[in-house]
Amino acid sequence: MNELADRARSIIEEVFASLEEIRESVVTCYRSSAGFCTADLAGVRPEIFRCLGRAPETLAGAGMIVAPGVLADRPRWLEWWQAPDPTFLDVDLDPGSLDFYDYTAAEWFAVPERTRHRHIVGPYVDYGGTDTYMLTLTAPVEDGPRFLGVVGADVRAARFEALLLAELTACPTEVALVNAEGRVVVANSPRHPAGSLLHEAGERLPGLPWALVSARQAAGASANP
Amino acid sequence: MLDSVTQLPDAAVFSPLDDGSGRVEVVVRRLGEAIALGLVTDQLPAELELAAQLNVSTVTLRAALAALRERGLVETRRGRGGGTFVVGPADPSTARLRTRLRELSSSELREIGDYRCAIAGTAARLAALRASADNVARLRHVVGRLEAATSTGERRRADGRFHIEVAAAAQSVRLTRAEIDIQGEVGELLWLPYGEAVDPALVVSSHREVIEAISARDAERARTLTEEHIDKGIERLMELHWRLVAGR
Repeated sequence: MNELADRARSIIEEVFASLEEIRESVVTCYRSSAGFCTADLAGVRPEIFRCLGRAPETLAGAGMIVAPGVLADRPRWLEWWQAPDPTFLDVDLDPGSLDFYDYTAAEWFAVPERTRHRHIVGPYVDYGGTDTYMLTLTAPVEDGPRFLGVVGADVRAARFEALLLAELTACPTEVALVNAEGRVVVANSPRHPAGSLLHEAGERLPGLPWALVSARQAAGASANP
Repeated sequence: MLDSVTQLPDAAVFSPLDDGSGRVEVVVRRLGEAIALGLVTDQLPAELELAAQLNVSTVTLRAALAALRERGLVETRRGRGGGTFVVGPADPSTARLRTRLRELSSSELREIGDYRCAIAGTAARLAALRASADNVARLRHVVGRLEAATSTGERRRADGRFHIEVAAAAQSVRLTRAEIDIQGEVGELLWLPYGEAVDPALVVSSHREVIEAISARDAERARTLTEEHIDKGIERLMELHWRLVAGR
């Protein structure tokens, strides 16, 4: 079980280390441009592509999401690239549209904006964006006190599970990693698939916003589908 | 708003009509054309005033207004600030939607209802089992937007978003995609104005009941309420479909 938590932590830490490099490149671009606009973000692309290339097994996408009002030429902007090619993610940023991607309300944007700390969201249904069951890792980008947006990376929930299969199957008992809202991130239990709720406190994991629920605790929980 | 009506050049639209048979049809045609041409927007004059201007009885005028309502050109709002309001064709899609609804067969409409019930009903049931506090907060927020909406377009968007958020709260990518497809296909039809406009307050309270069931983790209630809501919507579309087919 410790192996499971350790492996999960090292996957997450690797992603955040990549994000740190994107963040530095954003700040550099921001400081060196007179009127920061979408064209300047081209300077961040090599770092985004490097990040995706470094972890092709893990990442579904990565990029920078700009806070409203920061760019001179666009009210909102996602400089977001999806693996493997990479492909630019074109989302609907028209507030009048049914598919409008209102990212400022999204937890992965709003929480780092508020706390100014890194954050992990999910698993959740990412509709309007990539239409995938997703984990999203984000970190705030600041220039002094000014919030410029977040850098982030997506890990498909299915992919994250696949990366942990060895550790999950090695556990002799049923075990689940559960996020702060009680949702299963990964589990080796047929009764508690990823995405279901498990109302058990579990054991808090240092360095992760998750808890480890093991068979003894899980046995008492309701069999939520 | 009233000004735009009273300031019409020569008030030609509202000039008196000759006596004769088929007066209702004549009133319908004249007002219908005026609306189609965009000569009349917003609110029509009060019934008594308009009947006097057109030189028809209020009975004739009311029959004509009822016909215009059924064509989706005007709607009647009750209470303070109420009256008869032009709703089409300021929204040019109304004519297209009415044509589409008329051309759909009743079995196709039934299929749409069956499919919506399967998707939205299941999504509501699973949302009750799996929604987080954050999911519920988002649902409340969307219904708040629906309540505050002032146009049919805004209502349709918020209503569509509600159903999509329920599917997302169910943690199902497939149900969410299906719901997005459904909203794209029939979302506009559901809010198509005819006769008395859809009462947004009823939709808001119906959605709130679903949210309460989801929040209380009452899966069966969430499903039943959702299915009932969808059945009602499809019933309304069926009714309008047959009226359009009958040319009434």
